[in-house]
Amino acid sequence: MRCFAERGILATTTADIAAAVGVSHGTVFLHFPTREDLVIAVIDEFGRRLAAAFARDLPRDASLQGVLDAHLAALREFEPFYARLVAEAPLLPSPVRTTLFTLQNAVAFEISRAAAAEEKRGRVRRVAPHLLFNTWIALLHHYLANRELFAPGGSVIAEKGAELRRHFLHLLHPSARRHES
Amino acid sequence: MTEKCPSCGSCGMPLDRPDDHACGDVRIPFCRYCTDAAGELRPYDEILRMNADHFVRSQGVHETAAQRMAAELLAGMPAWRDHGTRGHAV
Repeated sequence: MRCFAERGILATTTADIAAAVGVSHGTVFLHFPTREDLVIAVIDEFGRRLAAAFARDLPRDASLQGVLDAHLAALREFEPFYARLVAEAPLLPSPVRTTLFTLQNAVAFEISRAAAAEEKRGRVRRVAPHLLFNTWIALLHHYLANRELFAPGGSVIAEKGAELRRHFLHLLHPSARRHES
Repeated sequence: MTEKCPSCGSCGMPLDRPDDHACGDVRIPFCRYCTDAAGELRPYDEILRMNADHFVRSQGVHETAAQRMAAELLAGMPAWRDHGTRGHAV
């Protein structure tokens, strides 16, 4: 996972991985018949860890802010790898894109659930669930994909996460000007 | 997902509270959406459609893409892993 985060998922070779874990190049292929099998296995494991981190940080009956904070905390833990995954996803095997989609679906579900509860209390205005989630994920992914511009050498989630969360919640505030799509 | 938060063996939804489980029974490893009133797993095609519809609503993806993602998601789930080879639901 560290190799992929540092070099990029597509750019990392099986020889790089063998060298990083201190085994012969051939040993890698005893465990993974092809490079694609290795990539799928690594990203599957990453998906499990990220989902577990999100679930761990998510308070019971979380507010919308609580869901966003849990999402930010989980992403911060795996930021270099996740940023690579987001940037390279369109070029990666289909099972990898399914893993990313599934991870996003879990977040979309929690955001939608929390927003619906807060809408009933008049704390956020009504926004279609897909636009709600896509606005949040587009904002985050833009900053992650360009993390070297927004937080050179550091964590863009640490530097900008709170600002992005505040801005997103501000857009949803009932007093925010309504824009119909 | 984790010991703290298991997930539905049919669709992967987190089962982090008892009423997320079928019939509110934590011994049933499926969520309330994938099961009927008796706690029995719904047919594959029904669950596929429910998931695809959910993806359209929650992420706004095209219906065709939502169907494909739902099929790929279910293919990795314990309840449906052998579905393609058997040709019918568990």
